Amino acid sequence: MRTVPRNLRVLRRMTAAHIAMSLTYRGVWLIFMAANISVPIISLLIWRTALAHGAQLPIDEQYITTYFVLLSIVTMATSSWLTTFLASDIRLGKLSSWMVRPASLLLNFVANNLSEKVMKLFALVPMIGVLWWAFHDSMNVPAGPSRVVLFVISILLAGILVFTIDILIASLAFWMDDVSALHQARLVIANVLSGSIVPLALMPSWSRGFIDNQPFRYTVSFPVEIVAGDLSSAELLTGIGFQLGYVLVFGVLARLVWSSGIRAYSAVGA
Amino acid sequence: MTTRTQTYAEPRRPLDRTWFHRQERHLRLWRRFLSQAIVRETHYRAHFVTTLIVGLVRLGLALVPILLLYGYTDDVRGWSQAEVITLVGLFQVVTGVLATFVAPNLMRMTTYITEGELDGVLVRPVSSQFYLTLRWINVAELSNVASGLLMVIFGLVRSGISPNALEILQAVMLVACGTVLLATVWCAMSFTAFWLQSVNPIAFLYNNLLESGRYPLVFFPAGVRAFLTFAFPVAFASTFPAQALRGDLGWLQVAEGVGLTVVAIVLVRAQWRYGLRSYASASS
Repeated sequence: MRTVPRNLRVLRRMTAAHIAMSLTYRGVWLIFMAANISVPIISLLIWRTALAHGAQLPIDEQYITTYFVLLSIVTMATSSWLTTFLASDIRLGKLSSWMVRPASLLLNFVANNLSEKVMKLFALVPMIGVLWWAFHDSMNVPAGPSRVVLFVISILLAGILVFTIDILIASLAFWMDDVSALHQARLVIANVLSGSIVPLALMPSWSRGFIDNQPFRYTVSFPVEIVAGDLSSAELLTGIGFQLGYVLVFGVLARLVWSSGIRAYSAVGA
Repeated sequence: MTTRTQTYAEPRRPLDRTWFHRQERHLRLWRRFLSQAIVRETHYRAHFVTTLIVGLVRLGLALVPILLLYGYTDDVRGWSQAEVITLVGLFQVVTGVLATFVAPNLMRMTTYITEGELDGVLVRPVSSQFYLTLRWINVAELSNVASGLLMVIFGLVRSGISPNALEILQAVMLVACGTVLLATVWCAMSFTAFWLQSVNPIAFLYNNLLESGRYPLVFFPAGVRAFLTFAFPVAFASTFPAQALRGDLGWLQVAEGVGLTVVAIVLVRAQWRYGLRSYASASS
């Protein structure tokens, strides 16, 4: 039997089931997104004040405003929370029951991630709309539909990249008892290097070569830069190329670690 | 000669003779909570080290925007980098105290209400609000208070400010008000569990809003400033004490802080009583 169409069908059913579950607590998503959007708003106000009072930043008000308004939607769309859950499923042996099913446990996490994205999108879009309206004077409008398409593609790639990095870290639970410290460390590093706290354009010039090419830039900052920044077509293409490259590298790595982990897996409670 | 057996239905001597005895009994109880928490902490030394490291990393992360910002300018609306470092240190002290004494309790609010654990508290001879807000103490978080104090001293030395005793007193009073104010706001948000059941996402929202306390109030537009002073009062926990240390704050603002704190405590007490009436036990 062809596996790809079958897996897609399973994925569709499981996503629908997850969405139905998420609908039980609808209000939660609004609060989650209000929390998600509050830190970018704080940063936005701070940097605008700095700019208005004479700080000589390498980027202008348009860039800053567009960056922080779009930041929460991109961090939301590319985030994943699977590391903790997957690691505990491996450690506590919940994986065993999935190994006899005709679909991978990972597919369940994809479905969970997709459903969570749908719920969050409904909660977040109105908030972003209000923000956009409030700051519309200094928002950058993407130059032409091609930028919008690139923005969407880049968000999708960034989402896949984050997801594979998370699988990679969670899979280490096959050999390690506790990956939570590693997970925390990854979150902290990613927060700085992905541009979720401060736009990467504001990083000092001596760090440029490293900052611009490391993988975390392609998990958040790059998609935002497509709309906010003034990337040339050449920079856009190399950026997307880099992003694809990182997706491939981390995809292959995660695949290798996961499959060798499955072979090393000695089930608990089975 | 028969001794008469007493039953619970008969009038007995009340537990506390006066209001002061009642407060004193609760204080004694809290001291027991604290010594128990310290004993527990000695059993989990790795937890102490992890809390310390996580706290330091968080602090470093909070400094990233400030260090970058002051790479491009020396002064933002009358605040130098060293003064902002003092402010971040003061705020670290406040959040450290909250994480030690209040957070471990409010994080349990959802289970208290959805699993009916509150039942067990209500039958005890103790103020239920006191017990739910202050029962658990996370001693390891005090390390963040220490790192905050070090940062305050570092910032003061760097900016060459030497506050006199009165200015220090003002700052201490404002930090105390700020801590209580933020605690009451968090309580008010958590006590909505009586009506909403699950309040875990509310803790997440609260913690994210708390990030605004790491910047001087004047960095925000006027409307937001009012919000951060009266509705979500981080100003009392960072900006005002930092201004007091610089010596440009009058006693009027200290009095304002004390007044606001009293009002907040009265309000959250009323909210608790009102919420308790709508509590319909989950276990019986």
